[in-house]
Amino acid sequence: MVGLPFDCLSNPLGAVRVTFERAIASGSDPASFDGRDWGVVDVLRECLFDQGALTQVPILDHQSIRWIQPNSLVRFRGMVQDMLGNEFYVGAFKDGSTWRTNKFADVASFPMGSSSENRIWERRLLHCVPVPGQSSWTMQSSSESVISRSKKWMSQHREKRVREDDAESCSMAPSNEMQDSPPGCKKMREGHCHSLLLHEAVAEVSSSKSSIEFDTDSNCFSCLVKVYDTMESDVKLNDVFEFIGVFTYNPELMIQMDDEVPQDLYEESLVHLPPNKVPRLHCFIQQKLAVHDFILNSPVTEPIPHVIRGAREGLLDHLRSVLGNDCVAAQCVLLHLLSRVHGRVDSVALGKLSLNLTGFNRESISVFGNQLRSAIQSLLPFTQSFPLTVEYLNSASLAPRKDYKTNRLVTGALQMAEGTHLTIDETQLDSGILNSTGISNARLLKNLLECQKVEYDFEYYKMEMPADVQLLILSDGKSNILPADLVLPIQPSVVRPSTNIAPEALQTWRWYLSSVRTLSHDIDPEMQKVLEDDLVAARQEDRSLGSQDFSRLLTMARLISTSFGETRLTFDHWQMAKELERLRKERLKQ
Amino acid sequence: MAKQVDFTVEKALARDFLSNFADANGDAKYLNIIQDVANRKLRSVQIELEDLFNYKDLDEEFLRRITENTKRYLGVFADAIDEVMPEPTEVFQDDDHDILMTQRSEDASENTEGSDPLQKMPSEIKRFYEVYIKASSKERPFTIREVKASYIGQLVRTSGIVTRCSDVKPLMKVAIYTCEECGFEIYQEVTARVFMPLFECPSKRCVTNQTKGNLILQLRASKFMKFQEAKIQELAEHVPKGHIPRTMTVHLRGELTRTVAPGDVVEMSGIFLPIPYTGFRAMRAGLVADTYLEAMSVTHFKKKYEDYDLGKDEEEQLAKLAEDGDIYNKLARSLAPEIFGHEDVKKALLLLLVGAPHRKLKDGMKIRGDLHICLMGDPGVAKSQLLKHIINVAPRGVYTTGRGSSGVGLTAAVQKDPVTNEMVLEGGALVLADMGICAIDEFDKMDESDRTAIHEVMEQQTVSIAKAGITTSLNARTAVLAAANPAWGRYDMRRTPAENINLPPALLSRFDLLWLILDRADMDSDLEMARHVVYVHQNKESPALGFTPLEPSVLRAYISSARKISPHIPKELEEYIASAYSTIRQDEAKSNAPHSYTTVRTLLSILRISAALARLRFAETVAQSDVDEALRLMQMSKFSLYSEDRQRSGLDAISDIYSILRDEAARMNKIDISYAHALNWISRKGYSEAQLKECLEEYASLNVWQIHPNTFDIHVS
Repeated sequence: MVGLPFDCLSNPLGAVRVTFERAIASGSDPASFDGRDWGVVDVLRECLFDQGALTQVPILDHQSIRWIQPNSLVRFRGMVQDMLGNEFYVGAFKDGSTWRTNKFADVASFPMGSSSENRIWERRLLHCVPVPGQSSWTMQSSSESVISRSKKWMSQHREKRVREDDAESCSMAPSNEMQDSPPGCKKMREGHCHSLLLHEAVAEVSSSKSSIEFDTDSNCFSCLVKVYDTMESDVKLNDVFEFIGVFTYNPELMIQMDDEVPQDLYEESLVHLPPNKVPRLHCFIQQKLAVHDFILNSPVTEPIPHVIRGAREGLLDHLRSVLGNDCVAAQCVLLHLLSRVHGRVDSVALGKLSLNLTGFNRESISVFGNQLRSAIQSLLPFTQSFPLTVEYLNSASLAPRKDYKTNRLVTGALQMAEGTHLTIDETQLDSGILNSTGISNARLLKNLLECQKVEYDFEYYKMEMPADVQLLILSDGKSNILPADLVLPIQPSVVRPSTNIAPEALQTWRWYLSSVRTLSHDIDPEMQKVLEDDLVAARQEDRSLGSQDFSRLLTMARLISTSFGETRLTFDHWQMAKELERLRKERLKQ
Repeated sequence: MAKQVDFTVEKALARDFLSNFADANGDAKYLNIIQDVANRKLRSVQIELEDLFNYKDLDEEFLRRITENTKRYLGVFADAIDEVMPEPTEVFQDDDHDILMTQRSEDASENTEGSDPLQKMPSEIKRFYEVYIKASSKERPFTIREVKASYIGQLVRTSGIVTRCSDVKPLMKVAIYTCEECGFEIYQEVTARVFMPLFECPSKRCVTNQTKGNLILQLRASKFMKFQEAKIQELAEHVPKGHIPRTMTVHLRGELTRTVAPGDVVEMSGIFLPIPYTGFRAMRAGLVADTYLEAMSVTHFKKKYEDYDLGKDEEEQLAKLAEDGDIYNKLARSLAPEIFGHEDVKKALLLLLVGAPHRKLKDGMKIRGDLHICLMGDPGVAKSQLLKHIINVAPRGVYTTGRGSSGVGLTAAVQKDPVTNEMVLEGGALVLADMGICAIDEFDKMDESDRTAIHEVMEQQTVSIAKAGITTSLNARTAVLAAANPAWGRYDMRRTPAENINLPPALLSRFDLLWLILDRADMDSDLEMARHVVYVHQNKESPALGFTPLEPSVLRAYISSARKISPHIPKELEEYIASAYSTIRQDEAKSNAPHSYTTVRTLLSILRISAALARLRFAETVAQSDVDEALRLMQMSKFSLYSEDRQRSGLDAISDIYSILRDEAARMNKIDISYAHALNWISRKGYSEAQLKECLEEYASLNVWQIHPNTFDIHVS
């Protein structure tokens, strides 16, 4: 066979159909494809990855949705916000004597006889949103380049597409579908009193189908992803994924609800995600994304020692200038930015290093706080911040909560993707009275700081979800509501106006932060002995040291070591950690 | 495709089973049930697959067919029951339904046109009972997540928590019409939730006359069924990490309606079925199907120890454990294994979990069996972790903090229902923990006014309410486990224990045991801690414990079976306990600064702890060793508070042991003391065996006494 009889990018459903027919023709039993792929994913993988067509696949977002054609291949990058459970659908059915499949589609492409043999399969529904707090530089850089290419590609292919539609009698294009589905539906619904209404509705939609009006804006853009044939453990809540699949849009599904008698328990979660607001994506391939996937054009691919050191120095300088020439604070912030939860033992999250910078008042926060915040924003892909005030605590919904009326997980401010940075500004906190919401919110924040876990409210019980959030607290005195690992009074000496940073330097630092963060780390047995002795000696001196302090010190040593790009703790770095801790303690005493 | 099943054969099989099945007592279980149904005493017949499994003529294929096509077999069994249905043996009042039925059957005999299927009375309408098929409870129930597409149409058993319930509504089973023209009754069986009413009379007479008789729906004659919809959600423990609990729709019919309420944890067996879409959803009907579980049986989960059902292998495991002599230590160590040390505290917590039986005296007075324990100590000695762990092990436990809960939050609150505007009583933490354990953290930080509410709970085990016109008393039979910090945050060695413990004596005396956990400065424990932290950071796991802790489920099972035993105190021991109690009282009277408030409550505490220890051994009577261990624990708990004192008193351990032994021997007028006795006495005072041996050797060398070389018995010269 020379070439494929379909275009993977504009007509992926064609690929689904052709491969299915081919698999059936080669004697496979359609029942055996339950939860298994028949080769379409392989075809797409070859096309996208081996032939490099991936870059031509447009990224679905609130802007591109206006020009992306339905039933074409798209990419969507987002966080799994809610899992809506499994959907049962007729995966394969017999149309006369031939088997057809409905996989990767919302509507049957062929009329289904009521009595025909069919197989019920399952797919998982995921409600995905753009990653909360995603910095603009990650989004722009990724979509700009693709949009230009996609638009060009679109214009090239548009004509060809029309011709294809004409040629293929059973094409997937929406125009043909319109004519196909009503008779099929009518047959199924014979004897129903609603059939008249349906005709009207379809007619109405058919007339307006040429312009798909999406009622979306950037704040609440979300996507309903339907995932096939995956292990349950592959996709977890709050994971960031790139989904590659068919973007479908079926206007006739839009008006489904209006005439239904509302039946209190009967309503499903999909009702609240109408297709004109939430596009559907039938996913072929999903890839889990880490922080470094959001950093494009990384200057170096291999971590070379001197490059890392150079980047470290540069970044440290930058942080120092942001923090008013405070060297200790710059070091602490660097370690803080490199921290991540790399393991959990019992209730302890290893590797977290939350930072509490004290000594801010309402004046200095506007200078240093804002500088620091924007610096962090330009360095990390996911950043969020909120002020801690009594009103905020009393009114905000921080924890995600299950709403049983709509059967949805209502998101909260603390539903964040792994590796998000969160800045909390405590300087604006006044005295006031917390209500019950406020108390539970304060408890949630404390729990997040101490255990890196967020309790999701399922009304009848609460479920702890692990989180990995870097928390930075800016406050006047030591924050008692939010007990951070590191408390450091900031001592700025000079106020420098924010200087413009060269984009190349920023790119290097971003790359540095994301790649150094994921380095593995090890402690030699000899070094372990040294650590143990040092810790015991420290505790003999100061009885107030507890296992938490030990843990913090080890985390700092680890981060210092990795900040130099090393995977093994050396004595020097351990000394540096102790020195930093000493300097910090000294400051606290002042 | 499976081969065609002949349902008349199946019906014969079902009938054979119903009439010939004999339960363990040899009674014809189902015939009895059916007789009750005929007598209108019962309204449902529940066919248990387990019985079918145990049936002597078990046909496994038949069983398999039932589980895989349950909905169809409900009908088969109903038909079979109709056939074996006997005449009622008792007279009962005819209701409207019966009168209608008699009329109809008379009509039917007159009517020769019975061949018309729509005029034939469906058997459904004659039935006044429901048939359910209950899945076997042998295997582990599925989690909601595990019920997959391949189970559609099958009988499944699953467990979950009920999140929503609809109102109970009537669901039409058989619609009955009368025709205006020909006067015939027309029957229409309804199988789905939605049906299309008939408008034209389909009877032969109307069709041949082409009158198009107008049909009138007879609501009074039609058969309705109670119908309720509910949603169940996966239990928290079944949800894999990083996932959201799944939900499932459940349809409850007839007798099963109103058996569940939101918040109930239930196990259900039912048929997993797809819902045919209606209306505009039908457009997608070919593609997507919603599913539901048609409930066949509902079992509520019991969260009380007393109702804990043991599986077979669990029983074996427990028997094996009980044979092992060291069970007391083993169980105690398995509590919060990640917390290092604190053996005696853990032992005390184990006893709190086990508890003693409640006693009700003839005059109506109740004596509580629940043990109350207070843990006091420096910050950061894992008190809260211990508390949380205990709550996890206990089948019913509530964790709360003194600060976070006002008196209302602890006891009960009267609130106005926003919907009905009625005043409703809502139980607080202590009421919710009835028959369980209530862990109160930060006990010392509680307001004085809130603390008074606890007094009643801890002794009377009730909560009295007099608010907003409601005066009542709620049960709060709960064991209180409190954790508190010393008065000045850290334990101040320079002050007396009484000053450090910032709680009024009235409250303190209600605790059976009070432990002080101090963070002492010593090299070994520091090194231990440093090692632990370094190990954890290096290996991302806790270091090996040196023993395998028992699973919480095993602990729970052991404790629940221990709690079924109600040990009594034999006559011989009464004297022993009385003398031990009086000694404590005398000791206290002698000392110039009494540390403790030994009252009758103390005596009751000794009895409670001893009974709990006997329960742990699965023994029906309390042994002397139990009493000794109880005294030892009480002594240790005191020592944890006053050990500094003891050192100050100038007596070293060896001479103290000597004086104990001498005093005891003098009191009993004996010169021979057996080693076992000596060990009992000193361990009550909190000394170890090694110290006893040291003492024996030292004084033997001074020729104060002679030691038997083999048995170590003591002969005082």
